[in-house]
Amino acid sequence: MNYRQARWERETDDGETVAEPLLSEKGTETVTHEASSLPDDLTRDELTLPELSEPEVAGHYTRLSQMTYSIEHGPYPLGSCTMKYNPKFTEDVAAIDDGAIHPDRPDEFAQGTLELLYGLQAFLADVGGMDEVTLQPPAGAAGEFTGLQVAKAYHRANGEHEQRREVVVPASAHGTNFATAALAGYDVVEFPAGEDGRVNVEALEDAVGDATAALMLTNPNTIGLFERDIEEIADLVHDAGGLLYYDGANLNALLGRARPGDMGFDIMHYNVHKTFASPHGGGGPGAGPIGVVDDLAAFLPDPHVRETDDGEYELYEPENSFGKVHGFHGNWLVLLKTYAYISRLGDSGLKDTSAMAVLNANYLASQLDLEIPYGPFHHEFVASAGDTDAAEFAKGMLDEGVHPPTTKWPAIVDEALMTEPTEALSKDQLDLLADAFAAAGQKSDEELAAAPETTAAARIDQTSAARNPRLSWRDLEVADD
Amino acid sequence: MSFDIPDDLYYTESHEWLAESDGTVRIGISDFAQDELGDIVFVELPAEGDDLDVGDAFATVESIKAVSDVYAPISGTVTAANDALLDAPEAINEDPYGDGWLLELDGDLTDDLLDADDYAAQIE
Amino acid sequence: MATHHPEFESDVQPRDQGASSPFAPHTGAEVAAMLDAVGAESVDDLFDIPESVTFDGEFDVDAKTEFEVVSEIEDLLGQNADAVEFLGRGHYSHYVPSVVDYLSLRSEFLTSYTQYQPETSQGFLQALFEFQSMLVDLTGLDVANCSMYDAATALGEAATLAARVRETNGETVLVPDVLREGKRSVLENYADGAGLTVESYPTVDGNADLDGLADAADEDVVMVYAESPTSRGTIEEGLSAIADLAHDHEATFCLGSDPVALALLEEPASVGADVVVGDASVLGLPASHGMGLGLFAVKDDYLRQVPGRLVGTSEDAEGRRAYTLTLQTREQHIRKERATSNICTNQAWVALRTAIHVASLGATGLADLANDCVDLASEAAARLDSVAGVTAPVHDRHHFREFVARTDEPAAEVVDGLAERGYLVHEVGDHEIQVCVTDMNRGELDGLVAALREVVA
Repeated sequence: MNYRQARWERETDDGETVAEPLLSEKGTETVTHEASSLPDDLTRDELTLPELSEPEVAGHYTRLSQMTYSIEHGPYPLGSCTMKYNPKFTEDVAAIDDGAIHPDRPDEFAQGTLELLYGLQAFLADVGGMDEVTLQPPAGAAGEFTGLQVAKAYHRANGEHEQRREVVVPASAHGTNFATAALAGYDVVEFPAGEDGRVNVEALEDAVGDATAALMLTNPNTIGLFERDIEEIADLVHDAGGLLYYDGANLNALLGRARPGDMGFDIMHYNVHKTFASPHGGGGPGAGPIGVVDDLAAFLPDPHVRETDDGEYELYEPENSFGKVHGFHGNWLVLLKTYAYISRLGDSGLKDTSAMAVLNANYLASQLDLEIPYGPFHHEFVASAGDTDAAEFAKGMLDEGVHPPTTKWPAIVDEALMTEPTEALSKDQLDLLADAFAAAGQKSDEELAAAPETTAAARIDQTSAARNPRLSWRDLEVADD
Repeated sequence: MSFDIPDDLYYTESHEWLAESDGTVRIGISDFAQDELGDIVFVELPAEGDDLDVGDAFATVESIKAVSDVYAPISGTVTAANDALLDAPEAINEDPYGDGWLLELDGDLTDDLLDADDYAAQIE
Repeated sequence: MATHHPEFESDVQPRDQGASSPFAPHTGAEVAAMLDAVGAESVDDLFDIPESVTFDGEFDVDAKTEFEVVSEIEDLLGQNADAVEFLGRGHYSHYVPSVVDYLSLRSEFLTSYTQYQPETSQGFLQALFEFQSMLVDLTGLDVANCSMYDAATALGEAATLAARVRETNGETVLVPDVLREGKRSVLENYADGAGLTVESYPTVDGNADLDGLADAADEDVVMVYAESPTSRGTIEEGLSAIADLAHDHEATFCLGSDPVALALLEEPASVGADVVVGDASVLGLPASHGMGLGLFAVKDDYLRQVPGRLVGTSEDAEGRRAYTLTLQTREQHIRKERATSNICTNQAWVALRTAIHVASLGATGLADLANDCVDLASEAAARLDSVAGVTAPVHDRHHFREFVARTDEPAAEVVDGLAERGYLVHEVGDHEIQVCVTDMNRGELDGLVAALREVVA
């Protein structure tokens, strides 16, 4: 495919070549506060910020947008990220004025909002096979933190917190699992995968014991394989007195076909910006609701939504709540889009989502001339770039008009290309994506080193960025002086 | 790919090198190690006077995509740290056995260190 | 809701054997061809799920047309009772210009991912760099990241940072006793894992009681937190003294604020703040049930300990200025359990909206808005004070957006009485209500005052 991303070039007053000048290079104003009704000693001396007309602002951001590849440009097959189409109508739903309310409204003034949240709690519980769901965590990692705080509160209530200081994580886990465990104050115990790419139950037995607070797993795992021994794993952890935590990153593979709760998981988070199509927004916001089994429901964050005997909805503090993980109620606009997406799809659409996601991954894999060492995979697979550096391979793909897959992770596959097409790509798009893999695979090391050539920027010098951090326009001005 | 492994230095399995002169031991990371890490962008060093035990992680060396600990191959007190690296970490890439040294210890070499031949065999 | 969209008559299986999800494009023929290529008989054969954990139940959710879903949610949210909000206490609403929606909703911004391939993500990266730069200008500090979740989580992250940067051990984080309870709870949960405890220092009329703070501060304190404006709406007057107290004990001074207040009030860097946190979504987002945008800025010394993503500049292979995520070795995907935070997904799109809003206002517009926040609070307090049985403001301070009023009647009764008349205010004490006035509700002030007269009569 022939592709050229928008690319402007102009010189700044300092002779630097840029695609689009910074707002600060287009015009600033310095204001002082002599006229303020506040006394001088409470106000700042002056403030300098860009000062532009609306046409200038609109032009600036429109040009920036055209230098940003998105889902609607074409394939965006980042493994573990579930970059699926974000239905437009959910933005209309998010803009409904009656939903734009303050978080401290009394319950009787927020019945619609609370009913919607209650409905979403119930639906997510059903999808995950969980008993209760909180919507408060504002992202997946925040969901992990919430889950571990619930586990901690549970062990504290049982008088076992001092003993259970460890969270067990597979070596191939997402970095957030490790970091979350540390944030929650736990020691991380890592265990290696088995030769088949799944949990090695013997290695896990060595890692789990009296000190285990929880085991964190995702299923299908990072390379797309279903953990077939999941029930044995669950028994092992439960027998040791630990809790089993499900990382929802890969739930798109299982929608309507298998539920973490049925596999023995006690706590799970949902990445609604993955599974339920709320847009990624260039990095966020997402939402990371967590579900728990009955025994843990009393420890959930404050507040939680419930239905009263009168059919009204109210906020309440769960009996043994550990407190809060967000100042208010989480990322409302994201949750609202999630509710709309689920309502639109219904049972049939949700089951179809996992079916087409898994079909797409398998079809795409069948069209690639790359080694895929582990299977049978589901919604994603990890191919190897072989003798080529996977990060370089990815740069070669950029010139084919697609976004490359996640690279160099997980380490279990050499030069990993972790690929998740999602259900939203048509066969035509998958064929284009396969062509892009093939084209990149045919490029020499020298050609890859020169890539990308068709994007708004050519290869960017990461080393210079890190050795000499310039993190604001003020840093650039200082550099000029 | 061949790497520079000076004969007059000692090495460890975790890719540190050691050089002794006048009771002071200078320590850095090997040519192989700097190549594995790629462009080094940041270094954290211990302070003068810090006491190190064998196996202590005494410094971290960062590239764009990786962070590596550097472990003390011997025990001793830090007598000097190469603070020039804080502004110019690229010296480790460019001259790992010269300007890219990390620190000097007041300590003694031990018997379990590798010589150049042993180390060359290890990284083959 | 009886209306049916005509499209719905075709039911939910639009194409024979193809996908029934409206967001999966497969026709029946394509599914068949793809299965052939894979060598599978059916899609079900591709799943490797043991029988014992296979789910064959239903969720009992019927698929709906787009029109039906939108109508259903409109009806549902329509059940939120009509009311005029004079609510604040950490979640504020200012008018968001149309240009913010139109630009931020461009699908390039809305549907892209984190910029791990910077060459094809230059536009969003530049927008985030500009967001960071605006916060650097507003705080006077050296470094701002490109977002945390909200003000409360940013405060939690500041506490763990403070513990990491302190050369000697300590276990206490000091916060004002008037700190909003929910924010304090989030802080306590972040602090718990780091072995820190949160303790209060006293306040006088909303602001720090400097003598009380001096008594509370000792060598065990790793961070002192203060807000301006405070949760009672007052403008803190002792920021430099608080900073000095913190620094005397080798503690970090963390200041909570927001971009509108920062445009007018004392510059954090000039009063000695080491870290600034707060909710930046006071610009860019309408009332969103508490959804926010965590602001996080620090002085240069703390650069390596910053949580979350940072955008920096560099050059591309052709020597042009380029933007990229940088210093990623701080983050969880590289440093794992030794990362500065577990944050991955952040609030980037909200940061984009905030930046567009700031750009639209410009320095002049932002300063005007900030001055309005002072003048409106003052005018509104005077209006309430004119009502017999109400004294406002309670605190003899300067205010920003909101203030506390004393009511002779029990506050609970006043709040309920106002609610019955369609006006919502906070109850913050037995005889104290809190009222927040911005450009969004100033036109309703007459109504509020009239309702208050009736309620307290």
